[in-house]
Amino acid sequence: MPAADARAVETLDTLPAMGTAFARALVPARKGEARVPSHAVRVDGVRQDLDRLAAYTRVCGYTLRDAVPATWIHVLTFPLHVSLLGDRRSSVRLVGAVHASNAMTLHRPVASDERLALEVHAEALRPHARGAMLDLVGTARVDGETVWEGVSTYLVAGLRAPGEPVPVPREPFEPHAPQAVWRLAPDLGRRYRAVSHDPNPIHTNRAAAKAFGFARPIIHGMWTHARALAALEGRFGDAYSTHVSFVKPVLLPATIGFRATAVDAGLDAAVTTRDGVKPHLLMSVRSAS
Amino acid sequence: MHHKVVVVGGNRIPFAKAGGPYAQASNHDMLTAALDGLVARTGLSGSRVGEVAGGAVLKHPNDFNLTREAVLSSALSPSTPACDLQQACATGLETTMYIANKIALGQLDSGIAAGADSASDAPIAVSDPLRRILLEASRARSAKQRIAAFAKIRPGHLAPLAPRVAEPRTGLSMGEHQALTTTRWGITREAQDELAAASHHRLAEAWDRGFFDDLVTPYLRVAKDALLRPDTSVERLAALKPAFGGPEGTMTAGNSTALSDGAAATLLATEEWAAEHHLTPWARIVDAEVAAVDHPAGEDLLLAPVGATGRLLARQGLTVADIDLFEIHEAFASTVLATLAAWQDEDYCRSLGLDGAIGTLDRARLNVTGSSLAVGHPFAATGARIVPTLAKLLHERGPGSRGLISVCAAGGQGVVAILEAV
Repeated sequence: MPAADARAVETLDTLPAMGTAFARALVPARKGEARVPSHAVRVDGVRQDLDRLAAYTRVCGYTLRDAVPATWIHVLTFPLHVSLLGDRRSSVRLVGAVHASNAMTLHRPVASDERLALEVHAEALRPHARGAMLDLVGTARVDGETVWEGVSTYLVAGLRAPGEPVPVPREPFEPHAPQAVWRLAPDLGRRYRAVSHDPNPIHTNRAAAKAFGFARPIIHGMWTHARALAALEGRFGDAYSTHVSFVKPVLLPATIGFRATAVDAGLDAAVTTRDGVKPHLLMSVRSAS
Repeated sequence: MHHKVVVVGGNRIPFAKAGGPYAQASNHDMLTAALDGLVARTGLSGSRVGEVAGGAVLKHPNDFNLTREAVLSSALSPSTPACDLQQACATGLETTMYIANKIALGQLDSGIAAGADSASDAPIAVSDPLRRILLEASRARSAKQRIAAFAKIRPGHLAPLAPRVAEPRTGLSMGEHQALTTTRWGITREAQDELAAASHHRLAEAWDRGFFDDLVTPYLRVAKDALLRPDTSVERLAALKPAFGGPEGTMTAGNSTALSDGAAATLLATEEWAAEHHLTPWARIVDAEVAAVDHPAGEDLLLAPVGATGRLLARQGLTVADIDLFEIHEAFASTVLATLAAWQDEDYCRSLGLDGAIGTLDRARLNVTGSSLAVGHPFAATGARIVPTLAKLLHERGPGSRGLISVCAAGGQGVVAILEAV
């Protein structure tokens, strides 16, 4: 990505602990102009913890393999999301920002014993009818080779970005009876927090969830994404791209539906209400090799 | 058999000691890894294979369809059917024969035989009284009945039960049974330690010459069998304390297999299918035989393969001299040594209904790349480890070379098979 080369990069010695940065990210955003740091944050030589990976695969329903899931690398970059938006130059706070959609490409299998250089920057701050949208763009490199790329799109209500909002097209969805039913336990948010290290209390605490307008804690969107990919593992080769739209949060505990459809280029899937009428998440997976 | 059944490949993950590098991996994880490695090596990604048969001895109730679930997680086509089989330590050889027989009958043109076992991720059960109380409570129609059921719980019921490798009818562990056999057949400590040391040295030599390069795929940062001790020696083994048979016992942790984690798979097919898929047949499956002994009445628990070997050789019109390589599963060093002693024992063989002694085996032809003492023994995986190992060894020796596999199993059972290089 040539644009990233021109960007100032702040290299951190280690992945930041979530504490301070997250504490700052927890402070609700003031209304006004949306600002995000222009620099990228980067950590080199990140080792993957095998025990944590094993626990992550168990919580998400993946098989424990040498090649790691794309969503796992997203989880590894997450402290950089927090660090970037916890920066004083950011008026966007992670807490309160809604993860609207996510796109990832795994360019080749990444082994659990590979050391990763992880980098994240913010870009494409743009107006939205309800506030501002922005992309957090992550890359994972092994010896200079880009092995994974991810774009997490967040919607921040109440903040302004210059320009006229461009309507985000709604993804087509046809109600359909689910092919699978998932039962999500009340403690799933806690279990996923333990492996993802995402301490956002909206996923674990009823009062925090209420403060953001949810009757009960909601499961992390990236868990739902991971669970959907895990349901289809083995079917999209060594290299793949996947895109999800987080349409509607899932309140815990929950019983929800899942269905997948083979399409020419890959698979489309939907996580829905149990009756299949309303979507929670829409996912596409395409072979990238 | 109508169709010739050939072994065209195999794959396993390195085996490791229980509680070691695979402590976090389940049977599902390891079996999927073994299948995916085989699929990658044989170019079968996305392909439908006729059937996959696998199994595990230590199995969680949720894993009733372990092998099918592993297929669904693997790179094989999801339209590949699978089933679970279980024949204790002989599971991997029994799955091989199940697939081979179907191919021979023309029901399949290809299939994968597999096995996995994790002694690390073993199921823990509740005590039988507690289980009955919980079932009673779940049947209760009122809160009062439910409380009455729970009121029966006593502290002693709450201790969880780890699975024991003990015979239900005798209460003896496998090692305790084998200690009786060791004494009965007069197997010495020195002979056991020599066999154990040879197993490690031969396995190390096979790894060094690259023999396992197309039989093993690394998993979870383990590239080589983790139990292997290339530098062990008879002297070092002699220093170990007895583990079975009391203070005077001769069986130690060094000449008994360790509780292990691992998974293995082997690809079987017709010659035509192998040719279509550009795979080299290593050896054909000639024949197999199962047998059992009456261990509750005092017979040697792990010597059932002796009767099977005698009957199988007789049926094929072969003698020990006609077999180039032998693979006798090393449950314990003394199991192998007692088996060889039994083969030479005219009276014992006649007592099994055989015509006479099976014969004397030249030890240079036995377990030439090591066996379970050095590799480890994830119960259900062992047969699926041995089949491709022997098939490749026979292929190296050239067409017509024959090999015999003998695997003892819990319940006083055993499975024996003959392979021949093509």
